[in-house]
Amino acid sequence: MGLLNWFSGNGDDDAPVANRQQREQCWESRDLFFKCLDNVDIIDANDKKNKDIIKKNCNIEESNFEKDCAKSWISYFKDKRISDYKKLKFKEEMDKIGAQPINLSPQEFSGMKK
Amino acid sequence: MISRQILSRPIVGRSLLLRSGLTCRPVLGNSCRLLHSFRVLKQKENDNDKGEIVFKSKKPLSRIPIGGSFEKQSNSANGDRKPIVNTASGTIEFSTWKAALLFIVVGSGLYFIFEKEKKRLEVEREAEANRGYGKPVVGGPFSLINCSTGDRFNEENLNDNWSIIYFGFTHCPDICPDELDKLGVWLNSLKTKFNIKLQPIFITCDPARDTPEVMENYLKDFHPDIVGLTGSYDEIKNTCKQYRVYFSTPPNLKPGQDYLVDHSVFFYLMDPEGQFVQVLGMSNDEVTGVDKIKELIDGYVPSSEREKRKGKWYSFLFE
Repeated sequence: MGLLNWFSGNGDDDAPVANRQQREQCWESRDLFFKCLDNVDIIDANDKKNKDIIKKNCNIEESNFEKDCAKSWISYFKDKRISDYKKLKFKEEMDKIGAQPINLSPQEFSGMKK
Repeated sequence: MISRQILSRPIVGRSLLLRSGLTCRPVLGNSCRLLHSFRVLKQKENDNDKGEIVFKSKKPLSRIPIGGSFEKQSNSANGDRKPIVNTASGTIEFSTWKAALLFIVVGSGLYFIFEKEKKRLEVEREAEANRGYGKPVVGGPFSLINCSTGDRFNEENLNDNWSIIYFGFTHCPDICPDELDKLGVWLNSLKTKFNIKLQPIFITCDPARDTPEVMENYLKDFHPDIVGLTGSYDEIKNTCKQYRVYFSTPPNLKPGQDYLVDHSVFFYLMDPEGQFVQVLGMSNDEVTGVDKIKELIDGYVPSSEREKRKGKWYSFLFE
């Protein structure tokens, strides 16, 4: 399992907290894996019908990603990839019809009330 | 009538049309001129005005000092008026360029001061609105454990210092570490640029796993000033409630199971009286966050001062 087997808990062990180095390692593996998914046009890594394509094209990247990141992080990042994609698509669609974004950050919002 | 008059003088009409930058095809020439006849008339009026101004400007500029007056010279045939100059107290002669310079200097100075004050008052008003009426909207009593000393840490520890509070958890995959790194940049910039020292506080939303040891270990990666706070589930829940922080741990957790906590990601800026001032979110980056905090600190007025102001005649200025 290598140096970073602290994450590969089987669900019974308490997963230790990642330190900065481990976090960065995980993010790097995630980025490489997602880049590979981009190349084969896969957004949803959880989808069963994509499983074979991922195995064939991104096997090393996937196993590195799963080795370097905690289980909860893996599912979080995979879900985030899907929602990020949807967000991007939505934004593109809105840009196409010329929608104006509204800034709803707390400062801007309180300014709007005046 | 008028248009015909102008039309009867084609040279004038054409030259004006050329001036207006319009070219007309010969067929449409007539209608074009008709359309423009009004403009031509206007032009004529303006010309007349100009003529009058030229006539007026032939008169010399007034040299009458402020406070001087006219006296009609009875012996003057054409009724010319001559100013009487008060020579006893010395003339208040003014030279135009000095007056202009004085005007610009004073004017821009006042403008700058008013703009600055306006901005400051705006920030102050916003802070006042966030304080709410009577009871604060955000913040309140809580009691947690300081992870580095093991002592209790409550709302009184927010007094005498500007504090910035962040809620998160150590197993946080990407947002919290980024935000805590950003906080470190803010703290350093505020210190070096404005000599402002904030008390940074990190409160966990995951007390089950984030024991004082885990917190201490985690915070080592970030700014050394950050104080980690934890407590029992109820204590954390109460604190989050006071700060209107939403957090949710997944239900039916098995002991030791790996999970994530969903929570709101805001920095809460608290004034030296422990009162909530403003939230800073992910939209405030490394640079804008620093400026925002500086602005909020500059706009701060202690509550005693605010009370004093209320009775003053100029209190309406702060409303």
